[in-house]
Amino acid sequence: MSILRASNITKRFPGTVALDDVSISFQSGKVNALVGKNGSGKSTLVKVINGAYNEFDGNLYLDDVEFRYQQPKQAFDAGIATVYQEMSLIPGLSVAENILLGRYRMKGKFIDWKETFQDAQDILDDMGVTLPVKEIVAHLSVWQCQVIEIAKAMSVNPKVLILDEPTSALAQHETEMLYELIRRLVKKDVIVIYISHRLQELWEIADTCSVLRDGKYVGTLDMPEATHADLLSLMFGDLTLKKRPVDVVAQEQVVFKVDKLTREPAFRDISFELRKGEVLGIAGMLGAGRTELLRAIFGADIPDSGTIHIDGEEVKNPSPVLMKHKGVAFIPEDRKQQGLVQILSIKDNLNHSSLDLISNGIFIDNKKEAEFSKRQIKDLDIKIPGEEYPMTSLSGGNQQKVVVGKWLNIGPKIVIFDEPSRGIDVNAKQQIFQIIWDLSRHGLSSIVVSSELEELLEICNRILIIKDGQFTDEVNPDELSVNELYALCMGGN
Amino acid sequence: MINGAQLGEKAYRISQLSKRYMMEIILVILVLLLIVTAPGFFTLGNILNIFRNVAITGVISFAMTMVIIGGEIDLSVGSSIALSAVITSTVTGKLAEAGVMPMESAVWIGMLVAIIVGMGIGLFNGFVRTKFNIPSFIATLAMLNVLYGIAAIISKGFPVTTLPSWYNWIGAGRFFNLIPVPALWLIIAFIFVYVIMNKTKLGREIYAVGGNPEAARLSGINVKFVKIIILMIVQMFAAFSGIILSAQVMSGSSTFGRGYEMDVIAAVIIGGASLSGGIGKAWGTFIGIVFMGVINNGMTLFGVGDFEKYVVRGLLILGAVMLNTIQLQSLQKVKQK
Repeated sequence: MSILRASNITKRFPGTVALDDVSISFQSGKVNALVGKNGSGKSTLVKVINGAYNEFDGNLYLDDVEFRYQQPKQAFDAGIATVYQEMSLIPGLSVAENILLGRYRMKGKFIDWKETFQDAQDILDDMGVTLPVKEIVAHLSVWQCQVIEIAKAMSVNPKVLILDEPTSALAQHETEMLYELIRRLVKKDVIVIYISHRLQELWEIADTCSVLRDGKYVGTLDMPEATHADLLSLMFGDLTLKKRPVDVVAQEQVVFKVDKLTREPAFRDISFELRKGEVLGIAGMLGAGRTELLRAIFGADIPDSGTIHIDGEEVKNPSPVLMKHKGVAFIPEDRKQQGLVQILSIKDNLNHSSLDLISNGIFIDNKKEAEFSKRQIKDLDIKIPGEEYPMTSLSGGNQQKVVVGKWLNIGPKIVIFDEPSRGIDVNAKQQIFQIIWDLSRHGLSSIVVSSELEELLEICNRILIIKDGQFTDEVNPDELSVNELYALCMGGN
Repeated sequence: MINGAQLGEKAYRISQLSKRYMMEIILVILVLLLIVTAPGFFTLGNILNIFRNVAITGVISFAMTMVIIGGEIDLSVGSSIALSAVITSTVTGKLAEAGVMPMESAVWIGMLVAIIVGMGIGLFNGFVRTKFNIPSFIATLAMLNVLYGIAAIISKGFPVTTLPSWYNWIGAGRFFNLIPVPALWLIIAFIFVYVIMNKTKLGREIYAVGGNPEAARLSGINVKFVKIIILMIVQMFAAFSGIILSAQVMSGSSTFGRGYEMDVIAAVIIGGASLSGGIGKAWGTFIGIVFMGVINNGMTLFGVGDFEKYVVRGLLILGAVMLNTIQLQSLQKVKQK
């Protein structure tokens, strides 16, 4: 049996302490889960262990031998392998080439393909999986790619195997297969550290579960005995929620209605109504189909079936162009890739949705264009060095406000927010919430999705629970706690 | 009194300005060098000649600026020149032959047909690009061959010379016996593209689509429409270039325009547009066009042979693009700070 021990680890970044005196240990022969909210320090701890960060206070021990690697490559060669959620495979190469990349068997100056394929085959046999070693990776499924990632890690006979969100891209039956694979690996005296946002799966796969909160280690649970409540109280502590202002209330009139909307395999039979001025939350765990649903509502993806009504009128063939004209705004989860044109100016970006309104259809009215951008910069209190600067000159929070401002410029009736507070600081978060509430006061409705479920309790009038692509419940945020909401989203005991 | 910080600030500003206007500065230096060393360079006649010579590719370069800013490219414009020239002269000839109308007026129909066919080709390119999601680089490369073939089939491989004499004015005429008519077409193309890119909704959309197509789509911009429109406009301009060229030499031939697409694109890139889209300016392309013209002219004045010209021109394009890339990267670095 071997033990990986982190002792009094402190890692500082400018302005924050990401890990604060963390002492934690992981045993071989067990699946050690590591959990915590976004920003709790999980990935920082992983990077400290696998050599991605080499400047930190404290010590690391593997079987009581201290180690500190300068680069991930060194750690990998020494048997600390990390499998990230983003695939790092080369699609044009074969399975064997990917597993053994750069470490092929040689015969003089040339690669000995027979031996190389055999090596790869041995590794896969050892893991107890069947994969065609000569197949090109591009022809394989996501699950098979995930297996190759793990095989790549196993090819160095690792002592420590860190799996970062390994199931995030997998379908249900593939997840089952992954669990079996992990259970087999555990028997090989490997220390498995398993990081996941999908709390419900911890009861299936993990033996122990260590929790980080705000950069501090708060405890470890033995999974078979632990309840959802135990885990959630460790993760969140005694969280006091801020309440939304009392004047943020839904009116009677239904402005938006979705009926039996389906887009396989992401979600099915989704029906709900949205009222004037309402702030509606959609809560669910990662992979429950939240983002896919929002994209379909906005017409960015085409649903298989189902209807969308705005103000009682059916919207046929929804597309972003059409939904915009119907007064629907969409603030996507990935503002860099989907929300903004980074190389263009702040002024340009603030006008991208409202080009029809600042032009006569052909020519741009420069005066209106300037008014539109100035209005949002002032109303949303966007901090900018100058209107002509590119988006890259702004912080995350201010970039997010530009995305919001761009949409407020069309005078929307319904605003869809996908992860509005991702990657922005606490103050900017509160400002975004204030904006959502202000919209409600002016009779605008919002649909909000967030991974931070406690945020939904704070912002929304009503919350719908989505699980495995279906609505399972509807709750009043004033009547339940964060832990109860998490439990609802996870389902089960 | 000027203190150190102010001096530093001033030096910094000058270095930023020189970076921003690098191509302009290089062009001025090149012109000054030629004025001193090349006899006959700095005469009104020669300067006007330069503009006449660059007009045929230059007109397309302006439209290509829109295409490249929009994140697309059109490699088929060279053969579009040939096809348009062949169509204009053939239609004119057939109409006159059939006795429908004399060549003098039939050529108008010829030009109209050529322009409409050009727009049709652009529509087709745009359709293939947006419907089947085939990269425009590949789609238009294939089209390059197809169009040469069609031009050769129509003309049966021979130059078609059925054109009225007044038509020569479009390609070789001079205003006041001085200013070449093609220079006017060049200026009109510049104004057209400048206005679209700076003053219209379409221009804003082109920048957005080229800069980040997904963000543009999710902003409710009709990305497919924008791509089709820019591919149509560039083909329309290519057809017009074919008209200018056929008017200059008073015939239409399938051998026209071979390799012109490279000169067209080179001018745009020298002018600072980015092949990854979202960056570029009509004015920059103007500089790029003049730069290419001045270099060609200088080499002619020095009696450089045709074969050597290719080598020199190629290397100069490479150098200019390298400078532009370095400049773009350093500007972006500064902006990110």
